[in-house]
Amino acid sequence: MQKRSKLSIFIFIFLLISVVFPLINMLLQIDFSNNSFQNLITSGSFREAMFNSLFVTIIATIISVLLAFFLSFTLNRTNIKHKSILKLLITLPMLIPSISHGLGLINLFGTNGIISRIFNFNIIGSLGIIIGSVIYSFPIAFLIIDDGYNYIDNNMYDTAEILGLNKWQTFKKVTLCYLKKPLLSSFFAVFTMIFTDYGVPLAVGGKFITLPVLLYKEVIGLLNYSKGTMIGLFLLIPALISFLFDTFFKDYTNSDGETKKYHIKPNKVRDIITSIGVYSIIIFIFVLLGSFIYYAFVDNVVLNNNFSFNHINYVFASGITDYIFNSLFISIMVAICGTIISYFTAYVTARVKNKFVKILHLLTICSLAIPGIVLGLSYTISFNSTFIYNTFAILILVNIIHFIATPYLMAYNALQKVNPNYEVVAKTCNISLFKIIKDVIIPCTKKTIREMLSYFFVNSMITISAVTFLFNTKTMPLSLLINNYEGNMMLGEAAIISLIILIFNVIIKSSIYLLNKKDNRREYIYEVN
Amino acid sequence: MVSLEVKNLSKTYNKKTVLNNISFTVNDGEFLSILGPSGCGKTTLLKILIGIETLDTGEIIKNGKNINKLDPSKRNMGIVFQNYALFPNMTVLNNVMYALNIKLKNKKEAEEKSLDILKMLNMEEHLNKYPHELSGGQMQRVAIARTLALNPDIILFDEALSALDADNKLILKKELKEIQKKFNTTMIFITHDQEEAFSLSDRVMIMKEGNIEQIDTPHNIFNKPASDYVKRFVQDHLVEKVRSIEKCTGIDL
Repeated sequence: MQKRSKLSIFIFIFLLISVVFPLINMLLQIDFSNNSFQNLITSGSFREAMFNSLFVTIIATIISVLLAFFLSFTLNRTNIKHKSILKLLITLPMLIPSISHGLGLINLFGTNGIISRIFNFNIIGSLGIIIGSVIYSFPIAFLIIDDGYNYIDNNMYDTAEILGLNKWQTFKKVTLCYLKKPLLSSFFAVFTMIFTDYGVPLAVGGKFITLPVLLYKEVIGLLNYSKGTMIGLFLLIPALISFLFDTFFKDYTNSDGETKKYHIKPNKVRDIITSIGVYSIIIFIFVLLGSFIYYAFVDNVVLNNNFSFNHINYVFASGITDYIFNSLFISIMVAICGTIISYFTAYVTARVKNKFVKILHLLTICSLAIPGIVLGLSYTISFNSTFIYNTFAILILVNIIHFIATPYLMAYNALQKVNPNYEVVAKTCNISLFKIIKDVIIPCTKKTIREMLSYFFVNSMITISAVTFLFNTKTMPLSLLINNYEGNMMLGEAAIISLIILIFNVIIKSSIYLLNKKDNRREYIYEVN
Repeated sequence: MVSLEVKNLSKTYNKKTVLNNISFTVNDGEFLSILGPSGCGKTTLLKILIGIETLDTGEIIKNGKNINKLDPSKRNMGIVFQNYALFPNMTVLNNVMYALNIKLKNKKEAEEKSLDILKMLNMEEHLNKYPHELSGGQMQRVAIARTLALNPDIILFDEALSALDADNKLILKKELKEIQKKFNTTMIFITHDQEEAFSLSDRVMIMKEGNIEQIDTPHNIFNKPASDYVKRFVQDHLVEKVRSIEKCTGIDL
């Protein structure tokens, strides 16, 4: 017990310093006494940005969730072939920064885009933001809904059939009923993602300013931290709602019992129609990613279309390897430290039962309610006079906190399933707690640990929001270069950076995938009633 | 010689009395069953005996020494669970050897001893198998071997046979008796199953809502039930027995 309580106190202090303190400190800096807050919300630029944000976010969220629902339906309820590969391809957009999605759209449909040039149009503005946001967010919604399908018991469908319900009634009473929580939670998650993202609008928004872009410009351009913080308050709202929904919305359909797999009936027409849909989406993803390759190796897309290494040479001449090193260093450190911290936090919260543990649990997942750009801002305000400012340490820390909730929940779920009596056996056999964790509990959850490492790594590689106010010339990560190049209309160079990030993430993702497939021995996890 | 003595033990959770001033003794080499419905306090009692739960008042005395505050690792008691709690990433042999290695600090000796015990439990064919390759009965044998290997004075069984099917239960019950004779280990067997309790035990302790209703030999409990509760408990058991005989034989008793 002693070791565990020491561990939980240590984690509690860590979370106080890295989550609670910067956020509260930032909120305390807001001066409500004078009229600055009122001035902000009555100002034209703020109102316009707020309206723009709500407009694009609502439309993009609806499209994104519908698209995700269609994809998860196809992969779970039709006889389409190569499902696991399709699933991987659908989630490819998660491996590049949001700003790269905007960049891809510029490449294709911008003022001089490959496609828009032929038809003489462009999508810069709200349309571009909507399309970019959909591509950036639908894989997340897809994963949430896809997971929801696993919990629908086939017995429910058999019962519906026996009761004589027709297809629509069955869909409404069984499928939708089970998917209510995943659908709503993907809606909130995607809404928050899009509402708080500044990567896509910065790249394709043009003069269409959204709230996060306004915040970004206030802080980066005008160094107006207090105005930035006030805008940040508004970005916190949907994230907070989403967090409260996920934490407190009880889902009665998720049983712990075994669910029978759905029996898919043959239906050629359904399979063909849905296949066309899925493959068109995947082709679009490939065209978008392909545009990076085209831009990277063509000298000048507008003038000559000649194959050349000019962009690559330029990028390497301007010291890209340093930035690659920065990004890899940050991502590896975030992966290792983040996994250790979230794993041990989950160990305490999943396997010790007391009230203190519940506070730890809430503190850890509440990072879901803080948009990256707001978290980054709070770190700038709170840590600018400390020794970690201007070092790699602050970038690593902010990324760990920004991404900790998901890997923590992965570990929490896995550790809850591990037989609760191992520690008791260890105690009676005089085996120390850390030895039993090392020899039994970690090997039992090694697949989850690999997934956690990969999640931290990939997201640290692509993030721009949390680190944007915290880097300096020596610690600047790769993803932020995209913005620099894109801002200077060096689309070829920006495309190369996106490709490099994509390649590293594909390597990590696929090695974890292959490793886990190799020892897919499910016996490691013992379900206990 | 008295092996374990519990004196005036009480435990309260959130103002609910789980164990109400109970006292009993367990003799050296005895097989004692603690029988009662769920919520009667038997699992809490087990946790307190093994040392993973604290007691509010009372004393636990083992071989003349008060062990109230002794660490679980120093009580020299073993525990066998309903869900086996075998280490899924280790083979049968390694499951048994793992703790023994730490205790003996001699790998060869640990291996020899583990092999001996596994052989005694008819598990020599399965030494290199992983737990998921075994049947429920085999897994429980490994769990028993793992506990026995450390030479505990007392082994506690927490509903250890409840997850097994009828055939395996019967075989393992027999084996438990043999093990107890061979090793002369004191065994405390927690169960809600009357059949298990009455067929295995030297004495049975019947619990109800944190109190001991009766502690005696199965014979005496049948013939001289100490309370109405015990009487009904025993009667239910007898009726159940008669019904099962009727079912098997087709004779209306």
